[in-house]
Amino acid sequence: MIEIVGVSKIYSDTIKALDNVNLKIEKGEFVSIVGQSGAGKSTLVKLLICEEKPTSGKILIAGRNIVQLKLSELPYFRRKVGVVFQDFKLLPQKTVLENVAFALEVCDALPEEIKDKVPRILDLVGMLKCKDKYPDELSGGEKQRISIARALVHSPKILIADEATGNLDPINAWEIIELLDRINRRGTIVILATHNKAIVDRLKRRVVLIKNGTILSDKVRGGYVI
Amino acid sequence: MSWITISRITKLGLTNFWRNRWLSLASTLVMTLTLLIITLFVVMTMVISKTTTMIKSKIDVAVYFKDSATTQEISDLQQIIAARPDVKEVRYISKEEALRVWNERQKNQRIKELIKPEENPLPRSLAIKATNPEDLKNIADFLAQNQYSPIVHKISYEDNKQIIDKLLAITSFVKKMGWIFSITFVIISILVILNTIRLTIFTRKEEIEIMRLVGASDRFIKVPFIVEGILYGFLACIVATIALWIVIGLATPLTNRYLGSIVTENMHHFFISKFLLIFLMQFIVGILVGIGCSLFSIRRYLKV
Ligand SMILES: Nc1ncnc2c1ncn2[C@@H]1O[C@H](COP(=O)(O)OP(=O)(O)OP(=O)(O)O)[C@@H](O)[C@H]1O
Ligand SMILES: [Mg+2]
Repeated sequence: MIEIVGVSKIYSDTIKALDNVNLKIEKGEFVSIVGQSGAGKSTLVKLLICEEKPTSGKILIAGRNIVQLKLSELPYFRRKVGVVFQDFKLLPQKTVLENVAFALEVCDALPEEIKDKVPRILDLVGMLKCKDKYPDELSGGEKQRISIARALVHSPKILIADEATGNLDPINAWEIIELLDRINRRGTIVILATHNKAIVDRLKRRVVLIKNGTILSDKVRGGYVI
Repeated sequence: MSWITISRITKLGLTNFWRNRWLSLASTLVMTLTLLIITLFVVMTMVISKTTTMIKSKIDVAVYFKDSATTQEISDLQQIIAARPDVKEVRYISKEEALRVWNERQKNQRIKELIKPEENPLPRSLAIKATNPEDLKNIADFLAQNQYSPIVHKISYEDNKQIIDKLLAITSFVKKMGWIFSITFVIISILVILNTIRLTIFTRKEEIEIMRLVGASDRFIKVPFIVEGILYGFLACIVATIALWIVIGLATPLTNRYLGSIVTENMHHFFISKFLLIFLMQFIVGILVGIGCSLFSIRRYLKV
């Protein structure tokens, strides 16, 4: 489903964020990308959603090299991918409900569809009770859930979560991971980038370890792949 | 694009406009001023040049004859003049016709009654139209020769020439000023609107980025700003049209005094007959400036 082939990303002469990365992700997988701060996790996520272009290499999603997507095709590609951003990227002047609905509005969804889907997805992440609050009135974990709800609302095939457990306490973090796991079990590919190795180890799913922009190990439930 | 999307996008545009209402007001006012200035100059140029051609076509030399001149002498002269290549038309105006014209012109009954058909002091005359207005002088000079002085009472052509020269001078002046002012104001309004829209875009930079990342199409992002731009143009156009009527009302006594009632009448006529055209011109200029500015400002935010 997703195939990253020989991808490098050089921001400037001195900063090589990714160096010849190769990775293959199948349908229905839950992949955690683990590495220290600055390892290149966010860069990889940005490449996967075409926020940045790789300096070299191919990224195939459903057989299509997304590096070569035209500017006009980008929106349609992005609607198939849900992203939870490291910094949430919620709109402060919109309520929780509006923030989630916004992602649907942008995709030409009908009002009935919005009315139907948004509360259901908020319920799924356990945030229906907060639907009229503003992001500033939410805790980090709650923002995280809203961010996940927004990423999921248009039923993407792939969910990419960058540091979804970032600055959460262990209990909250684990709740988020459980949520992602549940989403994955419903058939969505989940790619989780995090520096919290302990938590993904507990999850017992595939773990890709990157350091200084290269893949150090690729472990499927304990057994090394590379 | 569906209706839902159109209404969503329009709403976003209106919200933008309202959120920065003071800036929006400034933009609208500058745009209004620009439209007003362009329109005024276009209209002034057109009215004056129309008046000029009107007067030009009316222009003629009139030779008034002494009552002592015989009909034969007058008709001889008429033939001589008609034969000249620079003369387009010669018309003989009898005493009776002169009286009729006099009566038509005078609205005051008492003045009308001053002249009675039995005792008509109005001279007979020849109305001569030149092929070119420039030839008038030659024709007048020809008539001023000594040989005709026994029969000629008066030759008149100077008055009209002065008016025409004045109008021509005004036209070229107005045109020049029109261009200078219009261009200056178009530039000013472009700068102001450009900055207003840039500011709206800047305050919504985050929103635009998020829109892009959750898969909004270019159109969805662009159109609200275009709507905002159109709104400036549209409001400005309406305000300018209202202001125009006020300006014309105020200008009427002035044009009456300095340019004559023909110009004023032409101006009023022009405004009434060309109202739609003027409105359309303002609308198009306003909206083009608005859309242009929006597209220009949003351009670099769409590259992510
Ligand atoms: N836009 C950019 N311009 C220049 N260098 C960048 C840019 N983005 C990231 N980098 C650099 O690329 C490297 C990888 O950054 P990246 O954000 O991918 O790290 P990360 O693994 O996500 O770290 P963290 O866990 O702190 O989020 C870092 O050295 C960073 O400084
Ligand atoms: Mg990161």
